[in-house]
Amino acid sequence: MTEVNIVNLIKNFSGMTRPAVDNISINIQNGELIALLGPSGCGKTTILKMITGLLTPDNGDILLDNQSILSVPTEKRNVVMVFQNYLLFPYMNVNENVGFSLKMKGDDPKVINKRVQEMLELVKLPDIGERRPKQLSGGQQQRVALARALIANPRLLLLDEPLSNLDAHLRDEMRELITSIQKKLGVTCMFVTHDQEEAVLLADKIALIFDGKLQNFAEPKEFYEKPINVSAAKFFGGVNFIELNKNTNYFDSSIGKIISNQKNVDELHSKCIATIRPENIKISRENIYQDNFFKGKIKSVIFSGTHTRYKIVINNLNLECSLQSLGIQNINKEDEVFVNLPKDKIWIMND
Amino acid sequence: MNQNLKKINIYSIYLGAFILVLPIIAFFINAFSFRWFYPQLIPKELSMQAWVRLKLIPREGSRTLEGFLDLWATNPTVIKALINSLTIGFVVTIVSIIIALPAARVLGLFNFKFKKLIIFLMVSPTILPPIAFVLGLNINFISLGFSGSFFGVCLVHLVPIMPYVVLTLTGIFANYNPDFEYQARTLGANKFKTFYLITLPAIAPGMVVAALFAFLVSWSQYLLTFLIGAGKIMTLPLLVFSTASSGNPALTAAISIIFIFPAILILFFTSKFVSGESSATSGFGKI
Amino acid sequence: MGGDKTKIILSITPPLLIIILLFYGGIFYGLVQSLGYQPAIGKYEINFDAYYNILFSERYAKLFWTGLALNLWVSFVSTFLAAVLALFAALAIRKTFFGKTVCNFIYSLNLPMPHLVVAVGIIFVFSQSGLLARMLAQLNIISSPGDFPVLVKDKYGVGIILAYIWKESAFFFIILMSVLQSLGENFEELAQSLGANRWQRFRYVILPLVMPSLFSASIIVFAFSFGAYEVPALLGVIYPQMLPVMAFEFFLNPDLNARSEGMALSIIIALIVMILVIIYFWLTQTRIRKD
Ligand SMILES: Nc1ncnc2c1ncn2[C@@H]1O[C@H](COP(=O)(O)OP(=O)(O)OP(=O)(O)O)[C@@H](O)[C@H]1O
Ligand SMILES: [Mg+2]
Repeated sequence: MTEVNIVNLIKNFSGMTRPAVDNISINIQNGELIALLGPSGCGKTTILKMITGLLTPDNGDILLDNQSILSVPTEKRNVVMVFQNYLLFPYMNVNENVGFSLKMKGDDPKVINKRVQEMLELVKLPDIGERRPKQLSGGQQQRVALARALIANPRLLLLDEPLSNLDAHLRDEMRELITSIQKKLGVTCMFVTHDQEEAVLLADKIALIFDGKLQNFAEPKEFYEKPINVSAAKFFGGVNFIELNKNTNYFDSSIGKIISNQKNVDELHSKCIATIRPENIKISRENIYQDNFFKGKIKSVIFSGTHTRYKIVINNLNLECSLQSLGIQNINKEDEVFVNLPKDKIWIMND
Repeated sequence: MNQNLKKINIYSIYLGAFILVLPIIAFFINAFSFRWFYPQLIPKELSMQAWVRLKLIPREGSRTLEGFLDLWATNPTVIKALINSLTIGFVVTIVSIIIALPAARVLGLFNFKFKKLIIFLMVSPTILPPIAFVLGLNINFISLGFSGSFFGVCLVHLVPIMPYVVLTLTGIFANYNPDFEYQARTLGANKFKTFYLITLPAIAPGMVVAALFAFLVSWSQYLLTFLIGAGKIMTLPLLVFSTASSGNPALTAAISIIFIFPAILILFFTSKFVSGESSATSGFGKI
Repeated sequence: MGGDKTKIILSITPPLLIIILLFYGGIFYGLVQSLGYQPAIGKYEINFDAYYNILFSERYAKLFWTGLALNLWVSFVSTFLAAVLALFAALAIRKTFFGKTVCNFIYSLNLPMPHLVVAVGIIFVFSQSGLLARMLAQLNIISSPGDFPVLVKDKYGVGIILAYIWKESAFFFIILMSVLQSLGENFEELAQSLGANRWQRFRYVILPLVMPSLFSASIIVFAFSFGAYEVPALLGVIYPQMLPVMAFEFFLNPDLNARSEGMALSIIIALIVMILVIIYFWLTQTRIRKD
């Protein structure tokens, strides 16, 4: 039950030319579940380790409920981290593993037993207390690790790649368990992932990080519809990019005039880039569009079940478009079509 | 495989084993027979005389518990040497492990400048012969007053033992995942508890094996003890050497049996580890 | 990171300091003394007399060069034979058979055994009235102790070689067993399925696989047998004498002038071992670079 403020956090490692974590600030509201998203090596784990106190930041501050925790030793912070590979202590059974933090606090063994049982029930593993970590499946180990973290009543729960070691089927199950428990206990939670889909499915808000720099911190929807730059758009599966020159109330491009009803046009530089998600592009044999339409040619058609993907070329510009397979017009390879980029769906950003 | 070949194979293994234990057989025959004349293969009579002369077993007639205690209370040379060997071995092993642990952790887990050089400096004493440093050191120790002292002998034993302990523990830590410690810290364990609840159990199996073999290295040390001990510190290897040179086979054999007893015991308990699985069983391993 | 650096330095310093002070300090002091600097007997100038005396003087040269020859002979022969015997033993013992655990134990038995005891054991078994001679006498192959060859305290170092074979074959054996164990039999089975016979499997599969470990173990054994004192002290003769024994006796000589020669000799021994080890590292490095 904690509000978290990460302020201008910087961390350098010797042997690296850029900071591993470069001036990152994030504010997390009480009870929120947020994702740190970014490619491998962008500094996610380093941020978690600074929050737990396993690493000391070179600059910046970390506040829990407006109090700095930088001078508090790791074991007193009550910020619990669940590591990517679970790290259940191998020579302790499940009960001892889950009860570890209470034992460290010096709680009464009876109380510990009771709480351990409650926690195991919470993660839906009530009957495995006597087993050793080796005798558990990957999914079970993950849930025990979660129980071991939650029993401490952490002010902030950190999960490092919680789903990456599970197979696809277990991943769905675990994802639901994590969100339901997190909402039930109301614990503020931060998790790390390099999988944008996972971040979108789980998180209330996503912090996107490239090369140690925070790109954007916002709700998942925004990353699809209003990416902050090309790399952010690409990370979320963006494939269509059009270079633009800004004019008074329209944009010039290699395929012609483009108009948009975007609000923040004033912030755009004279050279900027438009993007549009494949599912928002419309195509038709006849010209039924008012504006932002262009003549193009279908280069390929890929049927993938519910959707069909078209590659279109307009004056050397390649675009991808994805339409629902049902009720589709009969459009084939090499066909000439009209392509529409709806002005409320197109998104223009600086690069 | 060809059946005959297989049989030959197995019989040659048995023959090899027999040849290998011949010295041990000879030790026992010699130690328990005082007059074993050529060309007897089996001595005519069993005799405890060697053990009696070493004052380890009382004369016939007084072989009661009290008799043994009385005899040992006179502090016979063998017992004195045994106690010296044990004490030096324990002290050196424990000291070297305490000193080596932090270094091995750092060497096993981190990469840093000069790491290769440091390891090279550490390994050299295990390859270069003791005679290369002990002659020079001896003169230094005489002027420092360490010569002939228990302290000096322990100090010089550290030279062959410390590198061995550092290297084996480094191997263990190279296979160890420090995230386990971090996990314990975030769950509220302080540094001290983390060490004995997490680190120690992980490295214990490998550490015990390293400790036992370190003890054996000290236990077998002749040259270093002889020179630095300057005749004032008597240990078992010194006793074996001097009796062997003076030539009474029965006495030599009896002392040798005492001398090799820990070696066999240690091999027995560690055979599982020395068969090459040690790095797998020590440290949790990076999952 | 500042914190890490201090931690590394604080952790590494104590053991390193001990080694530097005692080991390298000892070598340095020995070196200084070997160069004639002996304040204790009022000698302050630096010269190479001791080295010259050992290598070229009429008094010591013959002693030294025969000693060096004996050293090389003993170390080469015992290292080679111990390695070969251990290789055969390890290959034979790999398969399951009755008594495997016991045999395994016996073949490893000499690993923790002190060299001193092994030397004594060799006397008991191989001397002219030893166990072996008695066995042969019982079988009526020999009639008196004199018929049994002199194998202990002989001028060819046979007893010393035997002791080292006894002791070091266990070291080779354990290393080979763990290598063979970790390799499993897959490679051999694969080779067999490709039509390799027993000899070919040994020559082209097993040998290349165990060679690196066998080679490094050989260097350790060679270096050890080259510089060890106990075994040749018990099993050797006065002439020719192995170098470590010679160095030690020079050093213990009541004539303090001989001390420099003792030191010089010990430095020469260390130098030879060091050169061997460097050659070894150089060889392995170039081999790694080639791969
Ligand atoms: N102790 C360290 N010393 C030096 N560099 C480090 C250290 N720890 C991390 N780094 C470097 O800092 C950068 C960020 O590492 P970090 O582990 O935070 O990445 P990550 O985002 O968690 O990546 P992944 O998704 O692969 O886990 C990497 O380039 C890494 O090599
Ligand atoms: Mg990471």
